[in-house]
Amino acid sequence: MIFAALILILSTAMFFFYFQVTCQKVLRRQFDREYFQSIVNANRLEFPSLRKSLEEFDAPVDYARLRMMLKCDYLALTYLLKNAANVNQRYSNEERLLILYFRWQFLLLAVRRTLRVGEKKAVLRMTSVLQYFANVVGQRVNTVRFGNLTAADYLLNL
Amino acid sequence: MYNAIVSYGFQYGCYLIEAGLIIFLARSSQRRRPISAALYLAGMLATGVARTYIVHRYGVRSTQYSDVYFRTDFLLVIGAFVLVCLFFRRACWHEEKMWRQVRLLLTFICVLVVGISGLLFFYHYKHLLANFIIEFRQNLYFACLVLNTLLYLLLQQIDSADDQLGLLVCGVGIQFAGPAATSALVHLTNGAPITQSLNSLSNRFCTLGMLLVWTYAVVHVKEKAVQITWRKIPAWAEATADLNVQRR
Repeated sequence: MIFAALILILSTAMFFFYFQVTCQKVLRRQFDREYFQSIVNANRLEFPSLRKSLEEFDAPVDYARLRMMLKCDYLALTYLLKNAANVNQRYSNEERLLILYFRWQFLLLAVRRTLRVGEKKAVLRMTSVLQYFANVVGQRVNTVRFGNLTAADYLLNL
Repeated sequence: MYNAIVSYGFQYGCYLIEAGLIIFLARSSQRRRPISAALYLAGMLATGVARTYIVHRYGVRSTQYSDVYFRTDFLLVIGAFVLVCLFFRRACWHEEKMWRQVRLLLTFICVLVVGISGLLFFYHYKHLLANFIIEFRQNLYFACLVLNTLLYLLLQQIDSADDQLGLLVCGVGIQFAGPAATSALVHLTNGAPITQSLNSLSNRFCTLGMLLVWTYAVVHVKEKAVQITWRKIPAWAEATADLNVQRR
């Protein structure tokens, strides 16, 4: 009985550990340049400023506003992932995995908030997922050209 | 009806991914393609096909099916253990001294699991084959999960640049951890129907998860793995590089 309980606890912990590690490994993918900046500017996304304020200034943040910012950026980016310069109009497997990871972290954020443990870490993880999405969208959009301009430049010049 | 369609969809979807990965690996020009993973996948595919054939021919409740099920399960669990050992070998490719110690540990764990399962079998000898295999399977899967975690920690310790192996290990971790947890839950609840269906669901989901992670590892991370593992700089080139650095 004790042995089975031990296996249950350890295996569940290991399952979530491997899930997290896999997502982190996917997130470590290197892009040939920082595509996310043009997407952030064009869509007025807020996650880079949020990350900067957490990393550099360690400023206290309004939790309700933080959640709203993350959620809005997530919704905008997942929409773009599916529809911007995407011929198949559907997510790839790694994008699905990261969407699941983001939702999981979003759920954990509420728990961490209640327990007051590692909120900053969870927010930084979520911003890294958003940055990955913005990079993917930027890379895709960059391959589509409008005359002499890239799609990202075109959007910026609107 | 709907459940049956979903179940068949899952089953044949997994077979398709397994077959696709095996073909991809067989046709791949990578010098260090994960042959061990391809062999394990071939084993899983052969097992699945054999079981499906027996079910269609003799039915789920036939003795032939239970016989084939337990025998193939035994082979699969041994295959999983061998797979983890081969991953250890790949991780210690340039570390012979470490490999000797790891080899000892792996042998010890294998003997330990066989010993414990044998003892349990001795006490429940009335149920013979099935009971032995169930015990053996549970113990060896959990041992594989622990070994896999040790392997992951080892990769972090030696600061391995082999990203492909890292992802393959994560895939195996997902495949072992989910079913191990739900099997323990079934054991704790004395086989309640809800936990049994949860166990069967987690088996399928985790297998699918492992296959998707492996696909990502094999298709997207291959080039980096090749570069890192096989780019050996000759001594003269290293000396020249040092000189260049000094000149700068």
